[in-house]
Amino acid sequence: MKFNNKNLILISFALLGLALSASVAIAADYPEKGNFVKGAKAWADNCVRCHNMRDAKELRDDQWITTSFHMRVRGGLTGQETRDIITFLQQSN
Amino acid sequence: MSITIKLFPKRLLAVAISVILPVTGFAANDLELLKQEVEQLKIDVKDAKEWRNQNSLMHMAGYADVGYVSNDNPAIEDSYTVGTFAPIFHYQYRDQVMLEAEMEFSVAEDGSTEVAMEYLTIDWIMNDNMILVAGQFLSPIGNFRQNLHPSWINKLPSAAPGFGHDGAAPVSDLGFQLRGGFNLGSMKANYAVYMGNGPELKAEIAELNASTIDEIEYDGIEAEAFGADRDGEKVVGGRFGLLPIPSLEIGVSFLSGKATVSEYEGTDDVSVYTASPVNDLSDLSTITSSDYDVTGVDVSWRNKSFDVRYEYIKSEVGETTISGFDLEAAKWSTWYGQVAYKIPSTKFEAVMRYTDFDSPHGSKDQQQTAVGVNYLIASNFIAKLGFEINDNPNAGQTAYDRTLVQLAYGF
Repeated sequence: MKFNNKNLILISFALLGLALSASVAIAADYPEKGNFVKGAKAWADNCVRCHNMRDAKELRDDQWITTSFHMRVRGGLTGQETRDIITFLQQSN
Repeated sequence: MSITIKLFPKRLLAVAISVILPVTGFAANDLELLKQEVEQLKIDVKDAKEWRNQNSLMHMAGYADVGYVSNDNPAIEDSYTVGTFAPIFHYQYRDQVMLEAEMEFSVAEDGSTEVAMEYLTIDWIMNDNMILVAGQFLSPIGNFRQNLHPSWINKLPSAAPGFGHDGAAPVSDLGFQLRGGFNLGSMKANYAVYMGNGPELKAEIAELNASTIDEIEYDGIEAEAFGADRDGEKVVGGRFGLLPIPSLEIGVSFLSGKATVSEYEGTDDVSVYTASPVNDLSDLSTITSSDYDVTGVDVSWRNKSFDVRYEYIKSEVGETTISGFDLEAAKWSTWYGQVAYKIPSTKFEAVMRYTDFDSPHGSKDQQQTAVGVNYLIASNFIAKLGFEINDNPNAGQTAYDRTLVQLAYGF
């Protein structure tokens, strides 16, 4: 019985963790999908114009959206470049 | 014997059934209960989210730095310092609008905490090539102020003279701007044009004696965002950046308008000048505004190891008259050239920067050679060691060297 309860507790924590992580990461349906390859190039070309390159796995998918839009304003990126970069970052995550 | 043999399997079966039945019954019930609890938890967690749908996003970024400054000036003690804690809040509704706000917290010499609004804008994403940025924003004039000043980005522990809150380059403004990027054939370009409340001016009174003014001259430009346009004079400006190749950017900036003297530096009460009465500046509509113009050029180039930057900014204020005293036109200009070299296969980076800042006041002129070594603990966490050789080229003026240590973290 004790063995069974331990397992149940472990399973419940694992499921709870999955539930939490799944609900915190927001799968937004915007912006429309860009081009992964062009995004990789735009990311490499533009980020280092001002600062050191950040790891593509550093943020969640939804955080990459806000970060990329912030950088679009700062760096004078086009909308298409921004969509490409977000696609690259999210698919690299 | 035969009876015993026949009974044994029946007893064994009965015992086995009596043991297994309760266990399997409990496990099935418990798992069902657990499933229900997990489903309920999912619903609770979903409902507890900040946003009920995916249309709104929130993210906090920013940077902070701490350090140590050693000054050759015997009147200034070496000190540990907290430079800045600057959280940046991003709120976004789909791909249509973004709110950006950066606060700046710092610790004053007396231990009190100072708080400032670095910028607060609502950015309307109008189309692929244009964004309307409204509110208080970092000046788009030049490149350092709007893009390079955060400590985890700036490759030296200090800003180049004239590019801080002290001189030739405008810091921020309040109004609106249109900005964005577009393709120009095989090249790329970006732009920002804006209208804002513009700066105010400080003047300095030179006394002939305690009750008589000898002359009045410009002291400085207060080129930080004002929440109200007290003199009613707006400014218009912007920057155009061209990238002929991805690794090279050339930018030109301009700003034009009028600005008004709103403060006498170091003088609280002008009523003491009974022999030469002067406007007390309480009503700026009675002061003749001065022409105000800024021009700038910036160039940046990089490859795998080198990062090279040059930036020049000049701010000019035209002549005016206050209560019969003529204020001569004045000019503030500064430029820096910076080379950073990331040593291959290491986390070390060497930096050298030369700056020449000229102001109408000889005591504020500064020529600075700054060298530094950075250790990139991570791409956004940098330990810096810098040494500034400061010089004032004017006779009788002294500038002191500084050694700076800084830990800068961008998040």
